[in-house]
Amino acid sequence: MLVLRRKPGESLLIGDDVEIEILAITPQGAKIGIRAPRETVVLRKELKITQQQNEEAAHGLTVVDFKQALENLRNNSRTGPSLR
Amino acid sequence: MPSVQTKYFGILSCRDDEVFEFPLGLPAFDDEKRFVLIQLPEHAPLVFLQSLTQAALCFPAFPILAADREYQLAVSAQDLAALELECGRQPELGREVMVLALVSLHDPITVTANLMAPIVLNLTTRRGLQAIRQDRLYSHQYPVERCILETSC
Repeated sequence: MLVLRRKPGESLLIGDDVEIEILAITPQGAKIGIRAPRETVVLRKELKITQQQNEEAAHGLTVVDFKQALENLRNNSRTGPSLR
Repeated sequence: MPSVQTKYFGILSCRDDEVFEFPLGLPAFDDEKRFVLIQLPEHAPLVFLQSLTQAALCFPAFPILAADREYQLAVSAQDLAALELECGRQPELGREVMVLALVSLHDPITVTANLMAPIVLNLTTRRGLQAIRQDRLYSHQYPVERCILETSC
């Protein structure tokens, strides 16, 4: 990971098309401005993770044998942590 | 009585007051605004968040305390407002809200629960959303073999 320090008002350039500017640093976090082409998707990382998890969760029932997975889950729930 | 088509449970009847409205949809499923909760004794504690619009769209979930009995809610101010809950404090689990962790079945053996972004359901107004935490205290892939059997959430 590239680590840099930036003060409010200072910027980073990523590739040819993206600029990240630190606008302010507040107790609630850094206020960040992003200049990028309209088609570049900018997402909070935790939102992207949640999207991916949801897609996995939704499709999990189709790729996995449903009944077998339920049986495994039931067995996992009943045994609990003590047998590990 | 209105009914909902489901891929895994056949056709179920449900009352309008059993439907949960998700004004913001779900991340990656922004257009899915209406769900019912399927709770069947033979599958407990597992429950299912079933889409009213797509029969095959069904999210398995655990009541959050079944996944982690010490779970501490941390719903953001924006999410509290979107759920029409009182701001300034966390809602009461079981009384004001039902909270679920969506479960991912990676394969028949590997099952994880998303504790980082629980589903929060307002039991009074029947509004729901996925409340992404702003801290890093919980994992989005919490292994399910650590689940303890609990019946309330």
